[in-house]
Amino acid sequence: MPTVDVTVEVCGMAGDGTIAAGAMINEALSRGGFSVLGFDSYPAEIRGFGRCVTRSRIGSETIVAMGTDTHVLISLNETEAKSRISFLAPRSVVIFENNPPTYVHHDASFVAELPPDKLLYGMPLSDLAAEAAGTPRGRNLTALGGFAAICGVSPDLFISVVESKFKTKGEKILSSNLKSFEAGYTYALREFSDKKGDAIQFPELPHNDRMVMLSGNQAIGMAALDAGLKLYFGYPITPATPIMEFLASTLPKQGGRVVQMEDEISSIGAVLGSFYAGARSMTATSGPGFSLMTELITHGVMAEIPAVIIDAQRGGPATGLPTKTEQSDLHAAVFGGPGDSARIVIAPTNVSECYHYTIKSFQLAEKYQTPVIVLTDFYLDNRVENLVMPLASEAETRNANVSPTGSEGGNYKRYQITESGISPRSLPGMEGYIFTATGLEHTEKGSPDYSPEVHTAMSEKRHKKIAGALVDLPKPEVFFVEDRLDVGVIGWGSTFGSVLEAVRAVREKGCRVGALKITSLSPLHASLIQEFMERCNKTLIPELNYEGQLANLIGHLHHGSVVRLNLVTGSPFPPSLIIRKIEDLIDRGDI
Amino acid sequence: MKTPGHVLAKRVRDIAQSCALNARSEALPTWCPGCGYFGIHQGLNKCIDQLKLPHHQIVVVSGIGCAGRYPFFSHTYGLHTVHGRTLPVATGVKLANPDLTVFAIGGDGDGLAIGGGHLPHVARRDIDVNYLLFDNSIYGLTKGQPSPSSRPGTITKASPGGTSEKPLNATLLALTYEASFVARLFAGDPNGMALALREGVKTPGFAFFHIYTSCVTFDKAFKTWSNLKQWVHPLPPTYDPTNRRKAFETVLEDNFSTGIIYRRAN
Repeated sequence: MPTVDVTVEVCGMAGDGTIAAGAMINEALSRGGFSVLGFDSYPAEIRGFGRCVTRSRIGSETIVAMGTDTHVLISLNETEAKSRISFLAPRSVVIFENNPPTYVHHDASFVAELPPDKLLYGMPLSDLAAEAAGTPRGRNLTALGGFAAICGVSPDLFISVVESKFKTKGEKILSSNLKSFEAGYTYALREFSDKKGDAIQFPELPHNDRMVMLSGNQAIGMAALDAGLKLYFGYPITPATPIMEFLASTLPKQGGRVVQMEDEISSIGAVLGSFYAGARSMTATSGPGFSLMTELITHGVMAEIPAVIIDAQRGGPATGLPTKTEQSDLHAAVFGGPGDSARIVIAPTNVSECYHYTIKSFQLAEKYQTPVIVLTDFYLDNRVENLVMPLASEAETRNANVSPTGSEGGNYKRYQITESGISPRSLPGMEGYIFTATGLEHTEKGSPDYSPEVHTAMSEKRHKKIAGALVDLPKPEVFFVEDRLDVGVIGWGSTFGSVLEAVRAVREKGCRVGALKITSLSPLHASLIQEFMERCNKTLIPELNYEGQLANLIGHLHHGSVVRLNLVTGSPFPPSLIIRKIEDLIDRGDI
Repeated sequence: MKTPGHVLAKRVRDIAQSCALNARSEALPTWCPGCGYFGIHQGLNKCIDQLKLPHHQIVVVSGIGCAGRYPFFSHTYGLHTVHGRTLPVATGVKLANPDLTVFAIGGDGDGLAIGGGHLPHVARRDIDVNYLLFDNSIYGLTKGQPSPSSRPGTITKASPGGTSEKPLNATLLALTYEASFVARLFAGDPNGMALALREGVKTPGFAFFHIYTSCVTFDKAFKTWSNLKQWVHPLPPTYDPTNRRKAFETVLEDNFSTGIIYRRAN
């Protein structure tokens, strides 16, 4: 069976049904047994028009990153599709509307600008849809019909997707969409029969109906629900808003409540208040909102109150690039705020980890009585992957509060200094354990105290507690274990998928390279990271930020040189750039 | 013959019998002798006692400032937060466990300056939190700067030429934001406070208590005890607190009438 690794793009104007078409490609090919990773881009400005592009990378083996090249372009709008020409791989398939345009802007001719190696499949999409369904509105489905016929995808896959998508919208809409699809399929099968075999063909794989398409944000929302979230507090901000919207429609059904607060400060304030009173709660934000939260996050550190905060990174600083992806909040997440305020920061690298680490963050927050920050980014939040519906075990969701036991006879020490730094925490309503939580430095009983002894002992307690959390945090994971590596590539967050793909590709050429995935960013598994780095002649750290924020955190662990590869284009890290850099390092011969 | 010792002993006995000390913690308040907050402490303790609220079912959330220290002196669960964020944190506590009785406490700087943006929203959400705003028109813990409720011309080290800003009227704000319960009280009248607090606690939804009090250390000119005693006066017995329009008129015309200004008719 030949392996397939195909990237399909749909490009159109808002209103063309571009995003819907992309989603149906993802779903159909997922059901067809392929691994799918999809990522859409859409205009930041709210208006009735603008370019929409969906990209779906479809593979017979697990897809871990978005590539640069496009192999199939489905154009629903010529003017917009022109911008995609430069991404087309040699001999790629282009499906486009070939109806004579009623008005063509002088520089809008798309087909004329395509390099001659491309395989062109012009279809009268609007006419076909109008003829079949009485309205040209279904022309995106007509284009999908064409795609299925040209690339050898079983039409049944699309038909079942259309049926499940439109079955609740009534018989008329369902049948009109099915007719639009079938018109395109029949037309392409007939018209392009002579070109059969030219285009990329998808093989028939065993179908798989157990897979679901999930975005990072959906996975986080589902994880919060499964973790028994009681309250969500948040303030709208791209790209975190979909989490609030998802929970707004689901959380009330399990007895919880979503409160849209007046700002991010009040959101984290209310999260701390509810954890203090014993209920699991959460907030999600992005860089600009996260910076507002930092004072109260350090309050959680000082007063030892749990909190769960999702920081969905976008381009920064300040308002930055609201709809672009970046990994530049790492320093803010790990260090942001006044004082020595050690906290837990974890960064998932894919959709499945978005689910499991969000679930985990609640237990970590409860057990270690501290804010836990889950660091994602625009690309991870919005990309979709097909995976088996994640399900948390009972052990993953159970309450991890450390409660006081025994009668302390009014001598309860809320901040008792213990071996682990963890002190049993009472909840309001518990008789005999009254205390006041405070952001002032305090004694074991919680009374304000600024003496050198108390501040020293308590600082030590808090940091010891966080360092101790390492045992519960996901360990760095080595890919391609070898005694010596010419280049070791370290990745975090959504960039890790690109790292893995790049390392795989270079290894196929016989090079000694390996990868390290770091998901726990505070505290760090310093010795494990160091051990990996010591085995590498060179360490490469690709990141979507300008300053090399992870390299700044771990660079000192290595005696050799740490090479930074930084990109701030606002797009996911292309594996090709990492491949080039690794090869460059090897070729330079100073290894 | 009554010696000063006898007088003091009797006074202590009286206070003890009034139950005003029952909800007090063992910590000695850090407020200056003569501070109005002692009176508020007495009033709130009486209210807690009279309503027979179990202490472990009460949470006092506070911000930063002299008023922010309140929870340490209260034998209840306490949450001393950061500056200005009393109300959002109290919102979280109440929604997490509605069985708790939640008091939010802060000064005029905490509630009208840095935290002023939260007041309208807690009122609009009608969270069942009882918010006591200790209004002495001065920043005490930072040693005497003007606050948002200082009158124009307030001279401090931070405003040697006198302030020019207009003062905010917290009662009027709470009325405007449609708090479910609005009372204006005087720290020199613990019994009056306890009465209004009891009513406010029993009222579902957001209850706002604007408490005039004196900073004996940094304000020698405006809200002094002698001035406040002269100025404050109870609302007339015929006053109907369920009439919001009338409440606005009263507050606009008279800055110093005390009692329950407004309560939503059920």
